[in-house]
Amino acid sequence: MLPLRPFLISQIQFRWVPSTFYIAFLLLPLVPVFYLSFHSNVSTPDLASSEFTFRNYLKIFNNANLTAAISSSISYVLINIVITIPLALPAAYAFSRFSFTGDKHLFLGFLALRMTPPVVMIFPIFQLFSSIGLINSPLAIALAHCLFNIPISIWVLESFMSAIPKELDETALVDGHSLPGFFIKKFLPLMAPGIAVAAFFCFMFSWVEVVFARILTVTNGKPISMAITALFSFKTDIGLVMAMTVLSIIPGAIMIFFVRKHIAKGFTIR
Amino acid sequence: MTLNNQELSLNIHNNRAWFLVLPSVLLLAFVAVIPLISVINYSFHDIFTQESKYWVGMEWYREILGTERFWASFGRSLLFSFLILLVEIPLGIFIALSMPKNSTLVAICFVLMSLPLLIPWNMIPIIWYTFISQEYVNEFFVFLGIELDWKFNAVHTWFAIVLMDAWHWTSLVVVLCYSSLTTISNAYYQAAAIDRASRWSVFRFIQLPKMVGVLMMAILLRFMDSFMIYTEAYRLNAGGPGNSTMFLAMDLGEDIFSFNYGPAAARSVIYFLVILTVSWVFKTALALHGSREA
Repeated sequence: MLPLRPFLISQIQFRWVPSTFYIAFLLLPLVPVFYLSFHSNVSTPDLASSEFTFRNYLKIFNNANLTAAISSSISYVLINIVITIPLALPAAYAFSRFSFTGDKHLFLGFLALRMTPPVVMIFPIFQLFSSIGLINSPLAIALAHCLFNIPISIWVLESFMSAIPKELDETALVDGHSLPGFFIKKFLPLMAPGIAVAAFFCFMFSWVEVVFARILTVTNGKPISMAITALFSFKTDIGLVMAMTVLSIIPGAIMIFFVRKHIAKGFTIR
Repeated sequence: MTLNNQELSLNIHNNRAWFLVLPSVLLLAFVAVIPLISVINYSFHDIFTQESKYWVGMEWYREILGTERFWASFGRSLLFSFLILLVEIPLGIFIALSMPKNSTLVAICFVLMSLPLLIPWNMIPIIWYTFISQEYVNEFFVFLGIELDWKFNAVHTWFAIVLMDAWHWTSLVVVLCYSSLTTISNAYYQAAAIDRASRWSVFRFIQLPKMVGVLMMAILLRFMDSFMIYTEAYRLNAGGPGNSTMFLAMDLGEDIFSFNYGPAAARSVIYFLVILTVSWVFKTALALHGSREA
């Protein structure tokens, strides 16, 4: 809003205040997390409990359960993105470019599925997946997470697609491109930012989800969230718990750094 | 998803577009519709094991809807969602409006603000538990003149849960609002400056109309997720003190984990109907907004 009222100096100077305070509020509860993760709470002869140490992080990499949990989380999130994006792309294109019988009801249906809390679905999904032998596999969690990620991706992709003028499609089709050919060769490259943002949202909602991830892994393939829960016991190593939490934040933070510009370029619903 | 009637009519009507949505529909039918149908089926049965089920008709529904406990939880969940929207939506808009202009600073803000969104949900209450148990937090509240007793004082537990949820989710509202604000072309602001428009009218007539669609989505997401809050609130104080923070999803969780499948299924169906109603109201509101704009 700088060009708006240049004569109001005070407005310019204090612009940083709300976001700074907000970020401070967000970071405050994370301070003990970072602090504890770099301190050992179990005193050993060579290290007092209050000293700075990387020991908790080293422990994670020497603990087969924890590293398995990290790779399990990463694999179901990736599988989920690989399933969701190719399915959501044509659907988003349909919503963006065509009208068809029942389109609004279908949208309502998708919306309702995104809004359905996992607790409502856990019991039948567990039965369904165990009857086809999917329990304990990352694929099971990835499929269950499609429940909310496909609707979200369709919405994100659709709003990016609607920003691309329809004339592009029309001229390409007149020029003799087939619809799939046009879609893959001409349309998809333009959609790269939208795909990145949709993938980020899939990642975000799938990475942090715990209810499905918990019930679909009974003995094996436990995700990060469950591995952390398993660390709690009579004598909890809270430093280790917090180190694991810090590690769980990092991939998402890296992702948002890369997609931030595309998110900021804007998606809207009209 | 374009809900605007006027705009849809510009799209070519072609039912072959169904082939494009079919893959998504089929997958969702597998992971959602089949389970939902079996939930509806279970909700009419008393289930001892997979093999011995007895038809009980509407009994579970009568039982659940007839208890005061259900309506109390329902009321608490509504109140909670209301408080969450009251705090998070205005705060989110306000922060989005005051994001820095400089792109490096925006990048830093984006990463820092998204941190709470990226933490596995079961860790959120643990982080908050650790945080509000710290000595200095307690001293800060004593300094404000409040003896914070969030474990045994219902109002304080509510405060802690709302604060935790605001901490966790406001950034989603910020990110969504900010992304729609960036689509406003500078020409609008220049025109407003020429007209000497006040800061408020710039917000009311330029920024808010642009945000409405995304804001509706943010409101809907936040409403439904807070209405069905489970992991975060449960781990913080297990619905206590007393039952003062028992929300709908926790009642359901209790049924499921004590293997009362029939009542749990009936509860699920009731919740799903509530959700469907809200989605429908939301859709209608959005369509109304669309036709008014056009």
